[in-house]
Amino acid sequence: MLWKDQYKLGVPLIDAQHKELFGRVEAFLQVLRSEDSWENKIPKINETLEFMKRYVVEHFHDEEEYQLSINYPGYEFHKRIHDGMVDYVQDVSRQFEQSTDNEHLMQQLGGRLLAWLINHVAAEDQRIADYAKKEGMSGNDE
Amino acid sequence: MMNNIYKAFVDATQNVFNLMLNISEISDHPAGDFKCDDEIDIAVSIAGDLHGDVIYRFPVSTSLNMVEIMSGMQFEEVDTFVTSAISEIANIISGNVLTALSNNDMQCNISTPVLYNPDEAQDEDKNYELQTNRCISTTIGEICLEIRLNRTY
Repeated sequence: MLWKDQYKLGVPLIDAQHKELFGRVEAFLQVLRSEDSWENKIPKINETLEFMKRYVVEHFHDEEEYQLSINYPGYEFHKRIHDGMVDYVQDVSRQFEQSTDNEHLMQQLGGRLLAWLINHVAAEDQRIADYAKKEGMSGNDE
Repeated sequence: MMNNIYKAFVDATQNVFNLMLNISEISDHPAGDFKCDDEIDIAVSIAGDLHGDVIYRFPVSTSLNMVEIMSGMQFEEVDTFVTSAISEIANIISGNVLTALSNNDMQCNISTPVLYNPDEAQDEDKNYELQTNRCISTTIGEICLEIRLNRTY
């Protein structure tokens, strides 16, 4: 399983969204890496791209709201990372709409998304929890 | 000062392996005895107060181990997915180094990681203030870092 309890920040809403994201990415990777024909994979890939475009924006917004609520000093830097990923997903999605036989593009997305998501939640987001804990505002102690 | 930059790369690699792969046992040594038949070479260019390149040399076995740990899936060979995941890791390590450098008032930017082909490389004969070639050993294999940087005056 891609999700690990050690990734929890101690903020129930954000943790639930992270778990959902990991679950969706894992399902996407399983389809992407399966032996099935490319044609059969396309519906799941389209579903994942639609989900990512909608849910990632929603989740990043909620996470940024939480950062603002605790006066997290790394907010601007963190937001730039979020914006970069939203731009990337939208760009890949646009390219895929133009050419659904572009397996290379999807394999690239899969590899990058896997490493990005793990690093982002295990490292970048943990800094928010560390700050919240230091300031006595919850964090990793759900 | 340039020694600190090399240390920043080792520290960043160590942090990334620890946080992303749960691997904490890491040591570094000169790359003189680094031998590898097949590897993924990723180049990241640096510009700003420092300029030059860092080449990350990931042996195939190390790369496959890394992707398997992250995904929980089996990978038999290097393909677009594996190369993309490893490129992102090189990007993450480089980004962490830049953050560490900016805390020391050194502002730099990095390029998007690209596959590096030594046969097509330019500037191989150029002199660099910091030119080092070292390996980082981990429990899932080695990574070699080739750092070539100059200060911008």
